Amino acid sequence: MKAEDLLHKLLDIKAPWQIVNIREDLGKQQVDVWVAHQTGKSRWLFGVKTTSVHEDKEHAWRHINLGDTRCVIHAEASHESSALPWRGEVGQPFTHAMSRVIVAMMRDGIRLQSICAILDITVGDLWKFKHGMDSGKTGLTTVPTTASAEEAGTESRIPEPDSPVWPSLLDGSVNIDIRLLSLKLLLTRMRDQMRVIIDPEVRALKCYELQRFFARYEKTLGHELSQIEKLG
Amino acid sequence: MKASAKLVSISQASDLINSGKYLNIAGDEAALTQLPKGNWIGGTIPYFMADEGGTVSRDRVFVNEIEVFGDAPTIRFYDVESLPQLCRNAPENGYTILVVPAFGPCHSAFAENAPNYEEMYMKPLIGWVAGVHLDDLGKTTPKVVLGTTGELSDQHVVAMDVPLPPAKFAHIDIVNLFQPSEGEAITFDATGFAAGNCLINGKSANLADYLTTNKIDTRLPLVADYCGAMINVSIKSVDTAAKRVDFYAPVFPGVTYRIAAPVSDYVNGFQAALPKLDTSIVFSCNCILNFLYSDLEGKRTANITGPITFGEIAYQLLNQTLVYLTINE
Repeated sequence: MKAEDLLHKLLDIKAPWQIVNIREDLGKQQVDVWVAHQTGKSRWLFGVKTTSVHEDKEHAWRHINLGDTRCVIHAEASHESSALPWRGEVGQPFTHAMSRVIVAMMRDGIRLQSICAILDITVGDLWKFKHGMDSGKTGLTTVPTTASAEEAGTESRIPEPDSPVWPSLLDGSVNIDIRLLSLKLLLTRMRDQMRVIIDPEVRALKCYELQRFFARYEKTLGHELSQIEKLG
Repeated sequence: MKASAKLVSISQASDLINSGKYLNIAGDEAALTQLPKGNWIGGTIPYFMADEGGTVSRDRVFVNEIEVFGDAPTIRFYDVESLPQLCRNAPENGYTILVVPAFGPCHSAFAENAPNYEEMYMKPLIGWVAGVHLDDLGKTTPKVVLGTTGELSDQHVVAMDVPLPPAKFAHIDIVNLFQPSEGEAITFDATGFAAGNCLINGKSANLADYLTTNKIDTRLPLVADYCGAMINVSIKSVDTAAKRVDFYAPVFPGVTYRIAAPVSDYVNGFQAALPKLDTSIVFSCNCILNFLYSDLEGKRTANITGPITFGEIAYQLLNQTLVYLTINE
């Protein structure tokens, strides 16, 4: 396989899209890749570009790292290509593929600071991404995540993260009597977020967050869990 | 050993500090500055609920002893930039006591943004808002104290993170006598310590006009139902000319508020509302507005003692509410 083809494969860039430029001197341990719609045979590796990215329409997203090297993808924003894993949403810092990795880590309960350290991303970018999801401005349906049924504790009284009880609690269609102050406040905040979150994957992530709270405080949530068990 | 919570002289407080105990101390600025350095956090306030009842004192301080169950607590300042890390830095099992100086940049930043801090509601957070004697309003600023250095600040908050062993857990709860009245539903379209335009029963209106026209007793807070927790926003002032109402805590969009129903007898109502606790209270505080409006000077609120504050923190900023912390097995 040619090096050119290998890089396209590594970044999951397929026709009619192609890499039109690449630089490795813009940041320490960072490679910047420009991707554009194919208009002719690509010759970027040999210094002949047949397409280009219009700077005034260009967006940059952090993609999944290439080894220890950060990868930034530059491309024009367009609705036509919004579902592609190497692209992100306008105004968001990460590609869809990177977003999927981050959400998977969040689901596993990895702290945001640790996610930043592991993926070499900034706290500011991560918060921007999280805020986008919490406010319903960012979705993940373009790159579906796969949730493992084994992620939840099997010996627990707590329903699995994909149980219908969580969305029912979060959208307010089901109410239970809550004694724990922190749960009252958390659920209020999450219901407020759910009112504006449309994306089903982000809504599913919220279910995971609520399930995590119950898992953490299972010992003190007997009153609440007994009501949830009756719902099931 | 049961940790103590009491109003003491400066000399007694100094002895406790010098013995190496971890303490939360509330007192007038002049009193706090006389205390030695040590393992304590503090904030300015001269109002207390003491064993003898509601008390105003400039030469005594209220001391909560923080029981240590193994790992030592950590004490530090946060500024506006670092404040969002508050809950993330808290121990995995334990709790945090936070003191915020009223009217400073951290006060508004915490009030408006705390619900969105990383790990918020996942780790117990309790605290209080430091103030000043009402005679000193506008003359001096509320401050917090980092006891380890003796430094006072009106630009930082001070926090004590207290780890607990796995068999113990911290429990935070509130006692709020105010319930929403049957009156109109009030909603806002933005977060803020002040508001004018709002929706009242779904129709555009001005809150200042509404309060004035309907002769609403502004000692009654706005109350919102947070999944069963009644959360107050107290009214600071009504400017009819500017058509603006200022609050002691922010209102939030998406939350439905109602004016509280009147509370006729705070002391007896409080006694009735206080749940029966199986364990002693480690820390509690009540609101200066309850102290003033219910005329609590010289009166006891059951057996609960602590500073009387310019705001209460049970995860987020509250008004006209008693908050308390217990350690349970």
